[in-house]
Amino acid sequence: MKRAILSLLFFWLFVACSVARAQDLVIVANKSVKTAEVNAEDLKDVFSGEKTSLKDGSHAVPTTLKSGPVHEAFLKKYVGKGDPAFRAAWRSLVFTGQGSMPKSFDTEADLLEFVSATAGAIGYVSAGANPAAHEGIKVLAVK
Amino acid sequence: MYRLLLAVFLVCATAGSACAQSLEDLNVQFHGFATQGFLYSTNNNVFATNSSNGSPDWTEAVINLSLQPIPNLRISIQPRYELLGNYSNGFSLDYAQADYKANDRFGVRFGKVKIPTGLYNEIQDVDPGYIWSLLPQSIYPITSRNGQLSQYGGVVYGTLSLEDHPKLGKLEYRAWGGEIGLSSSDGYLLPYVENGINLPNGLTRTEAGAALHWRTPLHGLMIGVSEVKNFTITGAISTLFPSGSGVVPVNGEFVAQPYFQPDYFAQFVRGKFMIATEYTRLAVQYKFQFPGPAAPYAQADERSVFGMASYKISEKFAAGLYYSQQFSRGAAPGPAGYSKDWALAARYDFNQYLYAKAEEHFIDGTGEFYEDGLNPNGLKGTTRLTILKVGVSF
Repeated sequence: MKRAILSLLFFWLFVACSVARAQDLVIVANKSVKTAEVNAEDLKDVFSGEKTSLKDGSHAVPTTLKSGPVHEAFLKKYVGKGDPAFRAAWRSLVFTGQGSMPKSFDTEADLLEFVSATAGAIGYVSAGANPAAHEGIKVLAVK
Repeated sequence: MYRLLLAVFLVCATAGSACAQSLEDLNVQFHGFATQGFLYSTNNNVFATNSSNGSPDWTEAVINLSLQPIPNLRISIQPRYELLGNYSNGFSLDYAQADYKANDRFGVRFGKVKIPTGLYNEIQDVDPGYIWSLLPQSIYPITSRNGQLSQYGGVVYGTLSLEDHPKLGKLEYRAWGGEIGLSSSDGYLLPYVENGINLPNGLTRTEAGAALHWRTPLHGLMIGVSEVKNFTITGAISTLFPSGSGVVPVNGEFVAQPYFQPDYFAQFVRGKFMIATEYTRLAVQYKFQFPGPAAPYAQADERSVFGMASYKISEKFAAGLYYSQQFSRGAAPGPAGYSKDWALAARYDFNQYLYAKAEEHFIDGTGEFYEDGLNPNGLKGTTRLTILKVGVSF
């Protein structure tokens, strides 16, 4: 019985650590983006399709992960929606002729590769993905 | 038909410069949705269906294809199949447009473009985009949707961020102009067709309009106004006149005086809660002119308003309520001169693709919803309408 309780404790500790690590995300952008920092309202507008540029005038191309805790954490923190509502809102923009769905990727490595090669691309990864090591990518501070 | 071909040609010509690029570079996207509705009403038949027996004659399927060869240019086309009772059973083109967005302050669309008037005109045909099965029929009558939705012409749009005065919020503007075709089965025209006036090519109207949406400093509150100027509405008509012991066909023309249509609206969204309201007035003088003395103009003067609220109870479940009213000024007293509709709605999203809706309407008056042809014994003053709908989108 003791071992079972201990196992359960370790399991929940592991889950808690995973969630905490997942929410430790960073905003990344192609080096063509002039600014070094971005505010939360800009992020929400860009990832909601309401804006296509940042305050400094840089063109912004929103880029997302397809799923996972980092994706969910980003949406919750900066867009204020879950994934189904996020995709439904974008589809409304598509069907009204006002936008195209953001490019989305299965892995953080694929996302980083796209962001490093695409002018104006902006996305998010976990801090553990070490985005600073990628050429063509800058990490944006969130004000 | 030639306008449809012209719009597709313009869009294809714009896309031509992009043909040398790979599909990956073109950012080709393919989306769509389909819905199936079921209607049941207690007294009158609604929307030219046999709804008092229960009717599944409400089906829609939409395909969207878009490509984005450069970041500022998006080219998209959206055909639709729609079945709704006797009103429609065929394909139409929601839009086929090229959209060049220079920056957030200025963009332009041309081709067959959606008309950005009112609060929901652009989204009124996008069923996955809202919780309602039917938008308020006083302002967004589904039987006249195709005549309001889009035009052959252009739209300029943009957002003016009042950053020097952050307390003033943001101002979104849209201005448009173009030509719109109303088919003879349009809800506005069907009563005349049923009374023996044929409109073989429907009607054509030219219009220009502008809209302002003020995103106020109060987070979530948008206040807007739009104004449409209709310049001309014309169309050939024909009917059968009694002559001797028989009838002879006579040709004529539908004529309407130019008119303005103002629209005022507001929406407040905060977290899971949304409330919205809209008011519009349609006042137009029109006549059916046949050979002979000048016919007098008839006057239509409709005032329409709705108020709605919805709440997202959970990630998957939302519920809402609205009241919608249309009133014809100058109409003879009685239920034909107005329509009052209370609606209770619920939506459940099974996942990001599949959803279901249920809606109950309590309709008083016969000014909206009905076609005389399917209610041959006359219209009763009140009706309850139940709607069930399932939809899938990707």
